[in-house]
Amino acid sequence: MYVWEFAALKPYWGLIWQGLLVTLFYTVTTVVAGLLIGLVVGILRTTAPRWVSVPLRLYIEIFRCTPLLVQLVWMYYALPVLIGVDMSPAMACFIALSLYAGSFYAEIFRGGIEAVDVGQWEAGRAIGMRRGKIFRRIVLPQATQVMIPSFINQTIMQLKNTSLVSVVAVGDLLYQGSVITATSYKPLEVYTTIALLYFVVLFPLTLVADRLELRMGAHR
Amino acid sequence: MSALTADNIHKAFGDHEVLKGVSLSVERGEVVTLIGASGSGKSTFLRCLNLLEMPQQGELAIGMHRFTFGNGPRTPKDAQLAQLRENVGMVFQHFNLFPHMSVLANVTEGPVQVKGMARAEADALGRDLLAKVGLADKADAFPSRLSGGQKQRVAIARALAMKPEVMLFDEPTSALDPELVGEVLSVIRSLAAEGMTMVLVTHEMAFAADVSTRVGFMNDGIMAEIGTPDETIRQPRSERLKAFLARFHETH
Repeated sequence: MYVWEFAALKPYWGLIWQGLLVTLFYTVTTVVAGLLIGLVVGILRTTAPRWVSVPLRLYIEIFRCTPLLVQLVWMYYALPVLIGVDMSPAMACFIALSLYAGSFYAEIFRGGIEAVDVGQWEAGRAIGMRRGKIFRRIVLPQATQVMIPSFINQTIMQLKNTSLVSVVAVGDLLYQGSVITATSYKPLEVYTTIALLYFVVLFPLTLVADRLELRMGAHR
Repeated sequence: MSALTADNIHKAFGDHEVLKGVSLSVERGEVVTLIGASGSGKSTFLRCLNLLEMPQQGELAIGMHRFTFGNGPRTPKDAQLAQLRENVGMVFQHFNLFPHMSVLANVTEGPVQVKGMARAEADALGRDLLAKVGLADKADAFPSRLSGGQKQRVAIARALAMKPEVMLFDEPTSALDPELVGEVLSVIRSLAAEGMTMVLVTHEMAFAADVSTRVGFMNDGIMAEIGTPDETIRQPRSERLKAFLARFHETH
C-alpha cells in the first residue's frame, strides 16, 4: 500500500504556484487573442466574398485538423527557420495557442451567427437599419446566446491545452511538475496535486457556465 | 399623386421566373389586397416593394424614392435601401420580433437607432403605439411571453413607429391560431380607417372584400385581374380566378 507524503512537496509550493500563474496567463491571453481572431474570421466567413472566405476556411481546417502539439513544435522549430526570425518558446506558444483557439472560436461564431433566423435580418432591414447595425444590435446578441455553451467548453479545453507548452520548456504548471518530480522523486504526489489544481480551477468555471446559460436563456 | 408605383417588375430565382412583369399603382389612403394561390408570386411582389427582394427589371417609385432595375443601373446601395425602408413599414407572417428585447424596445429600436430619436421621446411614442394596438400593459414583457396575435400586434406597432407612408403586410394572420386572427385584423382595419396606405397579401377573403379599395389576383407571376372587391371577388372574369375562389370557398 502506497503511503502518500504530500508534506514532501512543501519546499516546492512556490514553483507550483508560479506554474499555475503561467498556465492562467497563457489561458487568458490566448483566449482573448483567439476570441478576437475567431470573431473576425467567423464574421468574414459568413459575409465576405469567396476569395476571402476560402483562405479563411483553409486556416480553420489546418488548425482544427492538426494536433496542437504538432503546431506548437512546428511554430517553435520550423517557423523561425522559414521566416528567419528567432522565436522564444513563449512567443511560439502564444502564437500557436491563439491561432488554434481562433480556429475553433471562428467556427463557434460562424455557427452562432448562422443560427439566427433570416427573418431577424429582414425585420431589421424593414425598419431601415443598416447591415452593420443589424449585426451588432440584432444578430450578434442572439448569436452569443446560442454560442455560450460551446464557447465555455472551448475555453475549458484551452486551459487544459496550455499544458502542452511544457514540451518546449515553458514553465507552466505541468512543466514545474516535471521539474519538481525530477528533484523530489515524488511523482505520485506531484502529478496528483497538479491534476487537482487543474480541476479546482476548471470546475467552478463549468458552474459559472451553467449559471450563465440558464440566465441568458431566460428570455427565450 | 400615387403613394406607390411599381412598373413592370421582373424577378427570377435562378431559372424560375416568379414575377413576369407586374405593375401596380397605389393611391394615397388606398388599401390594396393581393390574393392568389401559393407560388403565384404575390409575396415576392410584396417583398419587391421594400426591396427585400431586388427586382431584375422594372421601376419602383415610393414617395421621393425612385429605383430603376435592369441592365445599366447598379443595384442600390445599403444606404439608399435603408432610406426607402424607413418610409415603408412591413409586417411579416412570422412576426420576426427581436426576442432579446422587451416589447417596448422592439417598438423603439427603429426610431432610436435609425432616426436618432431621443430615448424618452421614443418611449412615449412606443407606449402610445402599444396602447393603440391594445398592448399597453405588455410594454416590459418579452416577446416569448406573448401569444401569436399579441406578437403580430407588436410587430405592427414596431412598423408604425417609423411613421411609414406605406405599410406592407405579408400574410399577417397565416401563422396564427384561428381564434387570434380577429384581433390582428381589427388593428389592420383601424389603420385602414385612419387612411393608412396599405398593401396586403392575405388568404382572409372576407376581410379582403371588406377592407380593400382594390383586390388584385395574381396568377403565375402576373397581375391577372385587379379591381374593386366587388369586381374581383364577387364577379370574377377569368376562369382562373373563378376556379381559385371556388377552391377557396370549398376549403374555408
